[in-house]
Amino acid sequence: MEVLTGWWDDFFWGSLVVVKLFFVALILTVLFGLIGSAAKLSKNRVANAIANGYTIVFRGTPEILVLLLFYFGSAIALTALAQVFDPDVKFVDFPPFWAGSLAIALIIGSYATETFRGAFLGVDSGQIEAARALGLSNLQTFIYVRIPAMWRLALPPFGNHMLSLIKDTALVAIIGLEETLFVAEQAIGYTAKPFTLYLVVGAIYLGFSTIITLTVMLCEKYANRHLEIAK
Amino acid sequence: MIFDLELILDSIPQMLMGLGLTLQLLFLSLALGTALAIILLLMRISGRWVLAAPAMAYIYIFRGTPILVQIFIIYYGLPQLELVRESILWPILREPFGCAIVALSLNTGAYVSEIFRGGVLGVDRGLKEAASALGLSARQRFIYITAPIAIRLSLPAYSNDVVSLMKSTALASTITLLDMTGIARTIVAETYAPYEVFLSLMVIYLVLTWMIQRSFGWIEKRMSRHVRSEI
Amino acid sequence: MSDNQQDVIVQVENVDKFFGDFQALKAVNLTVARGERVVVCGPSGSGKSTLIRCINRLEAHSSGRILINGHELTDDVKDIDAVRREVGMVFQSFNLFPHLTVIENLMLAPKLVRKTSKTENRELAMEMLARVKIQDQAEKWPSALSGGQQQRVAIARALCMNPEVILFDEPTSALDPEMISEVLDVMIDLAKEGMTMICVTHEMGFARSVADKVVFMDQGEIVETGPPATFFDSPKSDRTRLFLQQILSH
Repeated sequence: MEVLTGWWDDFFWGSLVVVKLFFVALILTVLFGLIGSAAKLSKNRVANAIANGYTIVFRGTPEILVLLLFYFGSAIALTALAQVFDPDVKFVDFPPFWAGSLAIALIIGSYATETFRGAFLGVDSGQIEAARALGLSNLQTFIYVRIPAMWRLALPPFGNHMLSLIKDTALVAIIGLEETLFVAEQAIGYTAKPFTLYLVVGAIYLGFSTIITLTVMLCEKYANRHLEIAK
Repeated sequence: MIFDLELILDSIPQMLMGLGLTLQLLFLSLALGTALAIILLLMRISGRWVLAAPAMAYIYIFRGTPILVQIFIIYYGLPQLELVRESILWPILREPFGCAIVALSLNTGAYVSEIFRGGVLGVDRGLKEAASALGLSARQRFIYITAPIAIRLSLPAYSNDVVSLMKSTALASTITLLDMTGIARTIVAETYAPYEVFLSLMVIYLVLTWMIQRSFGWIEKRMSRHVRSEI
Repeated sequence: MSDNQQDVIVQVENVDKFFGDFQALKAVNLTVARGERVVVCGPSGSGKSTLIRCINRLEAHSSGRILINGHELTDDVKDIDAVRREVGMVFQSFNLFPHLTVIENLMLAPKLVRKTSKTENRELAMEMLARVKIQDQAEKWPSALSGGQQQRVAIARALCMNPEVILFDEPTSALDPEMISEVLDVMIDLAKEGMTMICVTHEMGFARSVADKVVFMDQGEIVETGPPATFFDSPKSDRTRLFLQQILSH
């Protein structure tokens, strides 16, 4: 463990980057998932086609490729743009944090799209009719009846998506974001103890996965409290 | 943005040179991983705590950590240990190809064993009871009743996992292997044309995904002949 | 507007309804006056549920006119919402919101549609629960209640919006036999209090004792309409007679 002396704080800051990345990407994932499922369920053919293309591409190609494309692709575009103003500029990149969270959110969002779509379809139509019959508007029905009912159905698979999300954050080290895996690589340069240091990264991720799993379990318990037989 | 068509036409054959490696990684890890999954499954449903607990711990650890970290621990980490360097496995673990196969197999084994377990749990209790009433032993019940039905039930999830494994093979490029993604990254480093190269490669992976899904669709159809013949 | 017209709450004029090529309603005419209790019966697939679902626009009618308290039902969303506030509905499968407690089920629509205060809504909800004799279940989840209790909650939920008329779509068909009477008793109480009701039901005893008017439908048409005494004892149409024989023989 003396290998780690002097690196604890780096791992702490690296973990913090992972947490930030996770939450930013999580919010975007929910957003993409909702938009994607709405587009898949809409009667608009163009929206259907775009959403289908989205899920096919992002579920069918390697995560690392999407990430590399986003990072280097955006860097090319930004550099070209910068050179218009200042021909001496050599390289401008989109911050790895944002390129990473966007790429990960688009990937996990494509899975969330399918989950949300299924969950929306699973909501009992009788509940929606009851809300309409009580005079609730479309929007009110959506917010107070459809979303709460759909959320309960989506929670277990969405928990798995969150686990995929936290694990995908490790990939962002490849484009140079200073998260835990990146910290380990630097520490290895000094200590030559790769096994120990990568094991630490693994342990950190296992901790995050455990926290997410437990949180999802609690949420499911709360969400299904109406199903417990009342005393 | 103007695409360099010549570069695309030039790079696709180059990247396809890595197709063989990608497919080797996929099929070898799939075979080894599935075998491992069956062992883990039998340990979990053995009813014996000394077997079930290690299997559960294994699955928990490998599903709770990023595959990239697992690859790094095996490729960069293990040589730190003298025990490994002197073992008979060293010829395999010395090579990046061997390490990639080991990492991908260990990882996919954990996921597939959970998929199989879901299938086993999904088998109707009544069928098992009917089999015991006919005098079949526990082993016979598993081989002739539970397993065939469980395989059919697990097939859709298994096909998704094969696609995930195919996507994970792209991570072999992070440990110097020149699979399709590895070649693409080399080309991009030389030409600095991420859009052309990465987008073309994404199309190649999409075709692979499509082929995997089609094959499993065909297998599923064949396996559910008994359902259709009843109509 | 004359006095006579004001007393009409629901007016269905020459309404057709198509589902694709299938005609579910054929030139249906029905007038329901304030305080009137109408029972609609008929074999399954006769269009009776479609008719009341058109009355609060859960289905849009294909042609003809439907007027609720003088408002014509059109595609105008504002009009539909206005109409739905005056028309309560009770479903065959209760359709309580499973994620809300009993009292929250009752308080939701007043909060969102009428925007009254929480204390006011709670008071109102408790009052309506008392009316269906189920006030002691207020804090429970719907899934903890029996079918009969759930249907009574659904009736109380409709009452909270203080509707001019309540539509019942086979309210007892999904219930176990021993729970039917507790729901019918609540409906009879409502009828006695002068509530305007349109009930689709197979409960002929209820029709006979409560209805002012019985409507018999078959194959999308209204075959016969009349007060229960005439309807049950001397039906004019053969189709009605056949239906009554079948339904009363068991």
